[in-house]
Amino acid sequence: MALAVHLYRRIMRRGRVIGLLALSSVPGIVFWLAGFDGEEGEQIGLYTNIIAGVGYAFAIAALILTTATLRDERDSGTLPYIYMRPIPRLNMAAQSVLSGMAAALVIGVGGWLTAVVASLAVGADISLALPSLAVYLAAGVGYAAIFVPLGYLVPRSLLVGLGYIIVVETILANVVPGLAQFSIWRISLSIYAGMEDGFGVEAENMLGPVTAGVGGGVAKLAGVVVVGLAVLTWALKKRDAL
Amino acid sequence: MSDTIVVTDLSKWFGLKVAVSELTIGFRPGVTGLLGPNGAGKTTLLRVIAGLQRPSQGQVRILGVDPRQDTEIYRKISLVPEDESIYERLTGRQFVELAARLAKIDHPVDRAQAVLVTVGLADAADRALGGFSNGMRQRAKVAAALVSDPEVLLLDEPLNGADPVQRAQLITLFKELGAAGRTVLVSSHVLAEVERVSDRVVAMVDGRLAAVGDVATIRAAMTDKPRRIYVDTNDPRRLAAALITSTGVLGVQLDGATVHIETSDAGDLARRLPAIAVEHSIGVTRVEPVDESLESVFRYLVEGR
Repeated sequence: MALAVHLYRRIMRRGRVIGLLALSSVPGIVFWLAGFDGEEGEQIGLYTNIIAGVGYAFAIAALILTTATLRDERDSGTLPYIYMRPIPRLNMAAQSVLSGMAAALVIGVGGWLTAVVASLAVGADISLALPSLAVYLAAGVGYAAIFVPLGYLVPRSLLVGLGYIIVVETILANVVPGLAQFSIWRISLSIYAGMEDGFGVEAENMLGPVTAGVGGGVAKLAGVVVVGLAVLTWALKKRDAL
Repeated sequence: MSDTIVVTDLSKWFGLKVAVSELTIGFRPGVTGLLGPNGAGKTTLLRVIAGLQRPSQGQVRILGVDPRQDTEIYRKISLVPEDESIYERLTGRQFVELAARLAKIDHPVDRAQAVLVTVGLADAADRALGGFSNGMRQRAKVAAALVSDPEVLLLDEPLNGADPVQRAQLITLFKELGAAGRTVLVSSHVLAEVERVSDRVVAMVDGRLAAVGDVATIRAAMTDKPRRIYVDTNDPRRLAAALITSTGVLGVQLDGATVHIETSDAGDLARRLPAIAVEHSIGVTRVEPVDESLESVFRYLVEGR
């Protein structure tokens, strides 16, 4: 696990972590600001709407963090120090994705804690915020699985990833039902929706054709992780490392 | 002694640019200098040998293994990259210990300390690499490469940035490794540097093999090359007349106060020119060899094949 620890430490630079924690805390902060005016009983809907809508802030935070996992090494020319080691490429891919996931989860949990504190601050039922941890955890795992390989393979991975989040997840997935099934954010929301009965109507609309449910969502995520690992393993084996 | 690195019909291109072209060569234990001007393909060749880049054509075998197929070979080979890049935030010790842990070395802390002593960095080991001089960075990179006690050591311009004392220490270290039966491949664009570190030289130009042999052979090939020398004088016509009959002078051309001389033996001419000037009472204000650059010498080697 020496590689995973090294990569994790490398991407979790203090300045970057502070900035991305702030970004992933946007939903909680918005809920805190909006929650004071919310009528009692409306807060469940308000909370889920905010998580579903503004939660993309976390997707962008996860993108910035996870694409950097191997991209930082490539761009700074330090990749030979980790590439030329007796580590099977599947193992190297797994440790890379794992470090990306761990970093994304730390940022996600930070964002979620902000939401919990905001719930307490506006006097909302804490049980609102607790299940939403699943969204952050699932999204952290899913985004790491696709953005770590993307960061290794594509020089302008941040731009491409942003395109995926904005164009595919936010726009195209609304008009092309098939694409929605591949949206990490929607898959994550579907897990949350499966855990939370009071999932807001607007948030349910965001799911589109994606069925709410924990099992289905977890299975899709597992598929994404397997594909991500396969792509990264292939890239490490077959593509130039420099 | 059999070759530990075997490169067969190797080509590597990036789009339309050919970096290495149909190279076939073997490297055996000992120190080999990989010599060539910037852009000759040395770094690309080392990267392909190290498995960092895949061959566009041909193959590489290190100790009989394709480095892109079997990662276990990385227990036996190490590379010191040319780039200045290094983990700026890590200390020298953390950097070498990381290399040891990734290489799955037993007792990584002890091993790291041992190689830091070997490269003379033990005293500075707990300082951040970002504050290291270029020479210290080079030594830290060499330490990280040595931590796995590799059989094959690939060094890309390892003496860049090192001061004369550090150079001497590193050269001694490389020679000791070569004498101990390790295959050490040292790239450089400085002939004198390669001459000090290795007996065998592989010269590359434009991605192709220009010459292979011991240093004396390469030097002889370079000495045979006609050289051009510009001499500024107060009496160019008399100097030209005096030189034209001299041994080794192939041609003389006048350009104002400058005499352009083409000679087959620049060293001999340099020794005789003062005597000729004194004999004919000619003042000489400047003597400049115009094609002494390594690149021009290498081009000659390529064209002369």
